[in-house]
Amino acid sequence: MPRYKIADIVFSVELNYNYTKILCKEYEYFGQEQDAFTCKPTMQDILAEKQKMPDYPEPFLEGLVVFRKLCDYALENADGIIFHCSAIMVDNEAYLFTAPSGTGKSTHARLWRELLGDKAVMINDDKPIIRKVDGEFYVYGTPWQGKHELGTNQRAKIKAICKIHQAKENQIKPIGSGEMILTILNQTVRPTDEKKFDKLLVLLDGLLKSVKTYSLGCNISKEAAELSFNTMKRG
Amino acid sequence: MKIKEGFILREVAGNFIVVAVGEAVKTYNGLITLNETSAFLWNKLIKGATEDELVDALLSEYEVEKDVAIKGVKSFINRLVEAKVVI
Repeated sequence: MPRYKIADIVFSVELNYNYTKILCKEYEYFGQEQDAFTCKPTMQDILAEKQKMPDYPEPFLEGLVVFRKLCDYALENADGIIFHCSAIMVDNEAYLFTAPSGTGKSTHARLWRELLGDKAVMINDDKPIIRKVDGEFYVYGTPWQGKHELGTNQRAKIKAICKIHQAKENQIKPIGSGEMILTILNQTVRPTDEKKFDKLLVLLDGLLKSVKTYSLGCNISKEAAELSFNTMKRG
Repeated sequence: MKIKEGFILREVAGNFIVVAVGEAVKTYNGLITLNETSAFLWNKLIKGATEDELVDALLSEYEVEKDVAIKGVKSFINRLVEAKVVI
């Protein structure tokens, strides 16, 4: 049974298809740590995903079963949440861009890479995990890294979270946690269990108290990247 | 008028939000935000207050004219009806 370490969580998976094995290759684990859990996706689990996403093939959906199990475990036992965003690291600090799909967070992250070159490292371009470790919030790479498959198996302390909307003129402003919380709640997996939901809220409240939050209106230009990077870097 | 089972109100980072939990998620997957006054009304409604009692509660809690209170309760209820949160 292959073993993986994702967001510092070690687990075993018994897979029916090869897809997830290939997807998670960079995260395979051969060390001595014990498994936090074992995941054995059944056909029933996969069909349950199929009902929600009928257009996707079974091997892909099996990956989602594993992903959900990991998210569940992370929230329950590891102060971890999944957050749909582009996470990019510069000088060991992570910046998270969030927006509804299609707004341009991946595009903006690309502009950062063009601006900063090797200084900018993609942690994850789609579904990283955020964890609170010793009172600090880190973003971790995961194998689910978006259609351009951009990401690395490492973590970085989160410096800022920025929500993006398209605009003619580039503009960035700090926003309060109250404005950011709804965005985050819409870009994470919300547990259906009341106790877990409350756990999520406590975690998000802590996150928003410990990082800076911004709202960015931007076009697709080098200036947009310069504005957001310089503003958030300064803090 | 009653709030359906499985809907909960929470305050986080200065926002009042309503979400479904448990079985109710199957029929409602969204997120409703309430302002402070609506959250106040929610807490009365969940304890079984009628529409008239909601108006009275508003009048005793906030300094508003009666017709404003009636309008406020109506629009609050309408939002919940539209979101299918009440039966």
